[in-house]
Amino acid sequence: MKKNNRKIYTIIALIILGILIYIAENNLDAYNLRILNLGAIYVTLGVSLNLIFGFTGQFSLGHAGFMAIGAYVTTLLVLPPWYKEMIFILEPLAWPFTVLHAPFIIALLFSGLFAGIAALLIGLPVLRLKGDYLGIATLGFAEIIRIIANNIPQITNGALGIKGIPEFTNLWWTVGVAVFTIYIIKGLINSSYGRALMAIRENEIAAEVIGVNLTYHKVMSFVISAFFAGVAGGLFACLLTTIDPKAFMFIMTFNILIVVVMGGLGSITGTVIAAFLFNIFLEYLRPIEAGFNIGPIEIPAIPGLRMVAFATLLLIIILYKQNGLLGGIEFSWAGVSRFFQKRFSSKKSSEGSVT
Amino acid sequence: MELLMDLLNIDDISMKFGGLTAVSNFKLKIIPGELIGLIGPNGAGKTTVFNMITGIYTPTVNKIYFQDQDITGIKPDKIAKKGIARTFQNIRLLDNLTVIDNVMIGFHLHLKSSLVSAILRMPGYAREEESIYHKSMELLEKVELVKFKNEKAGSLPYGQQRKLEIVRALATGPKLLLLDEPAAGMNPQETKDLMGFIQKIQDDFKLTILLIEHDMKVVMGICKRILVLDYGVTIAEGNPEEIQNNPEVIKAYLGVDVNNYA
Repeated sequence: MKKNNRKIYTIIALIILGILIYIAENNLDAYNLRILNLGAIYVTLGVSLNLIFGFTGQFSLGHAGFMAIGAYVTTLLVLPPWYKEMIFILEPLAWPFTVLHAPFIIALLFSGLFAGIAALLIGLPVLRLKGDYLGIATLGFAEIIRIIANNIPQITNGALGIKGIPEFTNLWWTVGVAVFTIYIIKGLINSSYGRALMAIRENEIAAEVIGVNLTYHKVMSFVISAFFAGVAGGLFACLLTTIDPKAFMFIMTFNILIVVVMGGLGSITGTVIAAFLFNIFLEYLRPIEAGFNIGPIEIPAIPGLRMVAFATLLLIIILYKQNGLLGGIEFSWAGVSRFFQKRFSSKKSSEGSVT
Repeated sequence: MELLMDLLNIDDISMKFGGLTAVSNFKLKIIPGELIGLIGPNGAGKTTVFNMITGIYTPTVNKIYFQDQDITGIKPDKIAKKGIARTFQNIRLLDNLTVIDNVMIGFHLHLKSSLVSAILRMPGYAREEESIYHKSMELLEKVELVKFKNEKAGSLPYGQQRKLEIVRALATGPKLLLLDEPAAGMNPQETKDLMGFIQKIQDDFKLTILLIEHDMKVVMGICKRILVLDYGVTIAEGNPEEIQNNPEVIKAYLGVDVNNYA
């Protein structure tokens, strides 16, 4: 497989993706569009969590916190000043947010930036911890962010949340950001720096002794991961048009974790598929909460039953497919061409010489 | 005038863990090109010495100098950059990465391209990556591991894993190589091959080697100078013959005073 061919295929695939988005945007109803948008946002969230958890091996449960930072930054930047003045009723909005106003893309960039800075500040001390301890510390961080958001009404409007955020987010944005995230993180993973991250995951002491600077690489991975979580948080706010601290509870991080585990730790392709499957399943399992009959047995309406179904699904995956849905296979054009070659050569009764 | 600068100069270091002294007053000067053996019964503190040289532990007393620079208390990755590489007693490979990746990671510390140029796959980085790949392939060819290059490192046979770990250490471009029990778990034939291999890489890469080993055939066969540790104390130093006839050493290994039998 030649390098130029790969580029051409990628461009063709992107054009097809663009056409699909165009068709979807114009034909699907708001309900289905919302599911697709959430799916694409979960791709960004899942792939970024996979960078720090799946590739670098650092068990981080702080994603909801970074999302919250991103969501609030975007919200405060895209809302027009007069509107902000109107909705902040508990406490007047603090300067400089009263005057700041920026277009969506700038707001998203700042969302990522602030989440990244937060990751840098928290990562430097916390990434010395390992395994479960790191998980607990980052979980604590996410909770701190949520509780701060609850208690600074002059910036976040407290528990009332902020409503009426302009609905900028559409499939172009969510899929665009997802593609950009995958491009950057895949580039990182396939580089020498990515090898260093995986070395840290495999064996920290060995990595350090062969010259991998642990602090630099862990913090770098954590910051990049948080950057994309922040951007996703911004997209999330402008999709739901309303945010409050409750939206960023631990369950949010847990959902992303499900996506990453379903897709497979260290598998980008798996994460993409799992992100969409997760959101589609979550929605289409809703009818079972309304009650149904299995033969003569009547199951009454139980709210939350779909989460039970989901947990069961997750258990099955963890028990029987530890490497995720795809078993760690990554998408590549070389892989696609191998697949087709196999198909064709088997039809031609395999003349051999597969190179 | 001193003609040969010491490559490594360990100046009377001690290592204490709480009340336990793992190594006390350890002294060692290594001149470039030496192949030195470090032996002693289990728990004598040999690996602790390695851990201090490579920065995993910081000696509680005194200093270590590498090429006349004080490296005491410097982090392991910085020490690797200065030119000290090691292997581990319990092999520490990157099990889920391929054999070639295990070697390529060794070149990471000399990478010049920035993070951004690596992520965006800029031409400068692409060239560097290619040269790393070729250098790694050369190393693998030298040790006849090329046929395994796309296998996961963890799936290699034990002997090959040991070899791969040494190759990965070589990829960092060391001046001083520390080998922690390279012959552990090998059969006599593999051990014999290993002895040749160590001498070969020492010549090819102009290395200085410090070696921990329990297999006396290896130590006596290739080391010109041997140090013996027992309970953290250096009890003997000399060439293989001197060591073999040293009553202190025999006592440490056999647990009896030979003179009592006389």
